[in-house]
Amino acid sequence: MTTARGKTIFLWTLVIISIVTLSAPTLVVLGASFTAGNMITFPPQGLSLKWYASIAQATDLREAFLRSLYVSVVCTLIAIPVGTLAGIALAKYAVRFEKALQIYLLLPFTIPLIGSGIGLMLIFGNAGVLGQLWPVGIACCVINLPFMVWAVTASASSLDPDLELAAANCGAPPLQTFLMVTLPAVTPGVITGSLLMFILALNEFLVSLLLVDARIVTLPVQIYNSIRSIITPDLAAISVVFIGCAALAIMILDRLVGLDVFLKSK
Amino acid sequence: MRAYPLTWRLLDVLEAGVAKVFPRRLAGATPYLMLAPAVLLVGLLVLGLFQIADGSLRTLDTTTFLMSESYSLDNFRRALTEPLFRNVALKSFTGSLIVTAITLMLALPYAYVMVRTKSAALRKILLIALFLPFFIGQVVRAYGWLIILGNQGLVNETLSFLGIGPFRLIYNYPAVLFGLIQYMLPFAVLMLAPALTAIPEETEAAAESLGANWIQTFIHVVLPMARPGFVGAGLVVMTLSLTDFAIPAILGGGSQDFIANAIYDQFFRTSDQGLGATLALLLVAAGSTLVALVFALVGTGTLGMGRAKQ
Repeated sequence: MTTARGKTIFLWTLVIISIVTLSAPTLVVLGASFTAGNMITFPPQGLSLKWYASIAQATDLREAFLRSLYVSVVCTLIAIPVGTLAGIALAKYAVRFEKALQIYLLLPFTIPLIGSGIGLMLIFGNAGVLGQLWPVGIACCVINLPFMVWAVTASASSLDPDLELAAANCGAPPLQTFLMVTLPAVTPGVITGSLLMFILALNEFLVSLLLVDARIVTLPVQIYNSIRSIITPDLAAISVVFIGCAALAIMILDRLVGLDVFLKSK
Repeated sequence: MRAYPLTWRLLDVLEAGVAKVFPRRLAGATPYLMLAPAVLLVGLLVLGLFQIADGSLRTLDTTTFLMSESYSLDNFRRALTEPLFRNVALKSFTGSLIVTAITLMLALPYAYVMVRTKSAALRKILLIALFLPFFIGQVVRAYGWLIILGNQGLVNETLSFLGIGPFRLIYNYPAVLFGLIQYMLPFAVLMLAPALTAIPEETEAAAESLGANWIQTFIHVVLPMARPGFVGAGLVVMTLSLTDFAIPAILGGGSQDFIANAIYDQFFRTSDQGLGATLALLLVAAGSTLVALVFALVGTGTLGMGRAKQ
């Protein structure tokens, strides 16, 4: 047990348990979506693509998916400028009350989602905008904003301040320095952050559930409502859309900035 | 004369515009202006908390089904004394403690192997196995577990093939905890990994060359040095699992409510907004106390997002 061999066996046993636990639902949903039967049974009754054909016909699912996309786009478009500016400011400037500001900007993570969701529901309700989709986008942006700020501060901290001074020294005015030196340096962080924001908004369930009504359900809420009534393979097929989006996001992230960026120490 | 490129002209105009709107002598205000949009956006949450606090002081008039005009503390009395809420709170707290302990236990080896492995391919596989569920969302994952653990699910069908079962594997407390652990694992690993990266491999080698076996090295070197990661990971897992809605709702089947489910029910089933707001406020208070306590005792750990320490 105390030998190097023991260490390998111990670590790998736990790692394999984790990998299986992490991947099982994804694999099973993928498998179930190709079943030929009308029920999800084991062993599956043959392979077919009929459930994909059936979700392609279902307007309610397609519309719910488009609504989720719309929410994600709103969320990301707001998060990019807001999070980038805040991230650069926190990483590069000595601001007063820095500690307090940091804790304040972490509020979206420290306030429980149900609290944030209900608070936003009350505010949007008072403002008379409940029942529209863009407030859902704003809500998703608020609750995940620290991810964006994190991603940007991580790359802004690695930018050598001398580079900006050098640009200024060569005669670049402040805006030019910002656009030509600072922004390109934080671009990997902005890409990481906006991908996270987009995909998390696409999947956001609880806040969506609180802010939408029956006319404008987003896809996760639609799936949740259907799970409660009956489990059919078309749900598996539509879930594969999420799996596809997640895989795509991971590929883009890996190609553009590399997944290893999450392992870097601060 | 060489042509002056259009982009340069454009930049000059922009620069002049900025200089006019925002003269140099205000440069000290730059970081605050850059932070303002984020502060305003998060301000929506603070505003929301005030709304919740206001609602918590109004009681439901059961004859008219309207909220009272006057303030009272009656909701707080009910929230703190009624056994229903005490049971839900106890169940959620116990659950989140168990989930945190098990998740950290699984996350540490995962993060350690991922950080320490020499193989880039293995590291990528581990990262993908982590990000895929993280990016898929709770509802789809819980749906996957229903297919696996359901009464006619994968596990029970396999067991019946062997002549055992069926067992009731969903709609109970362990199923909810299991779902939460799976949901939290990526968060925990991602918070732990940077802290483990920060530990130089030589430190471990040094401990081992001094005669410590790997278990001693782990306990006396790796764990203490990874403390900021444990703070971040533990806090995130604890608060997120304590306040989760989807997993208890789907895998608990309505019989295993956590606090968030109780709050949702007050708003949308019983329509007692006041009591719902009170419960939400108490949950926010409990969560914040926990976070503040940990921040005060051990700092923000890997959760901080300020300037790199010089």
